[in-house]
Amino acid sequence: MIHLSDINKTYPGAVPLHVLKGINLDIAKGELVSIMGASGSGKSTLLNILGILDSYDTGEYVLDGTMIKNLSENRAAELRNKLIGFVFQSFNLINYKDAVENVALPLFYQGVSRKKRNKLALEQLDRMGLREWSHHLPSELSGGQKQRVAIARSLITNPAIILADEPTGALDSKTSVEVMKIFRQLNDEGMTTVIVTHDPNVGAQTNRIIRISDGIITQ
Amino acid sequence: MLDLINEIWQTMCTNKLRTALTGMAVAWGIFMLIMLVGMAKGVSNSFSSGEFAKSSNVIMLWPGRASKPYKGLKEGRWVPLKERNLKEIEHDNPGNVAMAAPSFDGTTVNMSTERDYVSRSYTGVYPEAREQMTIDYGRFINDKDLAEQRKSIVIDYKTAEQLYADPTKAVGKSLNVGGVAFNVVGVYKHEWKNDIFIPYTTARALAGFDDELGMIRVITKDLNSEEDAEALENNIRATLGRSNSHAADDNSAVWVWNRFESYLANQKVMNILNIVMWVIGLLTLITGIVGVSNIMFVSVRERTHEIGIRRAIGAKPRSILAQVIVESVSLTTIFGYIGILLGTVGTEILAHMFADSDFIKDPTVNLSLAMQVTCVLIVSGALAGIFPAMRALKVRPVEALRTE
Repeated sequence: MIHLSDINKTYPGAVPLHVLKGINLDIAKGELVSIMGASGSGKSTLLNILGILDSYDTGEYVLDGTMIKNLSENRAAELRNKLIGFVFQSFNLINYKDAVENVALPLFYQGVSRKKRNKLALEQLDRMGLREWSHHLPSELSGGQKQRVAIARSLITNPAIILADEPTGALDSKTSVEVMKIFRQLNDEGMTTVIVTHDPNVGAQTNRIIRISDGIITQ
Repeated sequence: MLDLINEIWQTMCTNKLRTALTGMAVAWGIFMLIMLVGMAKGVSNSFSSGEFAKSSNVIMLWPGRASKPYKGLKEGRWVPLKERNLKEIEHDNPGNVAMAAPSFDGTTVNMSTERDYVSRSYTGVYPEAREQMTIDYGRFINDKDLAEQRKSIVIDYKTAEQLYADPTKAVGKSLNVGGVAFNVVGVYKHEWKNDIFIPYTTARALAGFDDELGMIRVITKDLNSEEDAEALENNIRATLGRSNSHAADDNSAVWVWNRFESYLANQKVMNILNIVMWVIGLLTLITGIVGVSNIMFVSVRERTHEIGIRRAIGAKPRSILAQVIVESVSLTTIFGYIGILLGTVGTEILAHMFADSDFIKDPTVNLSLAMQVTCVLIVSGALAGIFPAMRALKVRPVEALRTE
């Protein structure tokens, strides 16, 4: 599903920063993988590249059979929309939209009609057990509920992978467990999931831990 | 599109006060624009409805003194206008002259009733001499008077007052003009005019007619430009020069008032006035537009993270651009329309206030002005949105990952 070979990334500047120094990584379909590393290890950069949010200098990245290289902004946006479901640490819901509208937003950018996308969004919320909260604004939801709305949003386009950046970082331990349970459940249903974290407890609940340190994968 | 509008409605509602305050500036700008342009329109209307403009198809000719020698004739001689000149003018310019109407000033005679008498002269005229004058009682000299050489007479209000005590009852009464009984057919009120009119044909038959016309009114037709008017004027001068023996370019041998030219010059001034008002109005509006642009910048900055999220979940640059610009256009248009509404009310009030004035006539907003202002709004809204939208485009999707 994900194939990275010899990915290099340098941030230019007065002192160029060589962040990724030849990353080789393969993630198969249906895997639940965590990427762990200290801050400054290059894990955020790797996440950006995996999420087609940033470009890389040399190497090769193939996502779900699509070569990700030298994409235009439009094409990148299209691929992100279609292939990747993002789950963020700070939920990143749009605060003036209610739960349904937030979940439906990726479909808005696909040009799906309002009626249809709201119906699909409601199904996803139902799946997350949030049907009753569908017309609440993010500010009226608890942290765990917000993250479940965010997960519903990441799932609505039927992406190839779920990319989660510290999904439990802003949650207490009890809700963290709940959220991780959802990820495991999704994985059981066959969803390829990559979780970037520095929490060993989270890492332990995944099938494979990829450790990154100083720009290279150590394990 | 509906979705886009909904999106914009939501973002506007998140900052109601700010939106309202920004919009106020736009509404004010449009209000000022409408008031100014309305006022210019009012002034322009008052001119084009005045005496001046309606008779813009008249070229008036008066006799004068030659200033140049001509075929042995010395300068300084009196050059009278003759009745034959009428036919000549009509004959030489069939395309642009509808008719040439003479007017003859008689000598001073006593005009008397049983009550009183005045020593005045009369003017023998064609019905065309009425121009824009309103006849308050009765009527003006008409074609039948002319054809039948009737002894009809039109007098002014003050003279009527003197002769009949009650001017409103003067019509139908008789008036002795130098021994000939005339019938008063009309009485008019005018600020400064006090001419006494009788039919030209009647004047011609009375004693004292010497074939020296006081004035010729040339009623023009199909004049479309200043050049046309000037050419006709020159043709008339040439015709008169040939007939009355003076140089065609002798401007003092015949005095010409070409109203069409004055009318065009007047139109030019009105256009300039209109343009100046537009410019002032638009400059006022710029304040509002800068405000909108500013607020859009703030909005884009505030929503950097949100834009990042949208980009991350698949918003194309185009849709971000569209959102900012459409938001800017909506903001200006909505509040602009409030301004148009206020401006409409404002000009109506103005129209009411100046209802009796000659200077401003019907300054109210018409459809074409509303359309023009709508275009202005859309364009200025788009302009206000362009730079903030460019800023929004620079937001990278990675922004989404930044923790607030």
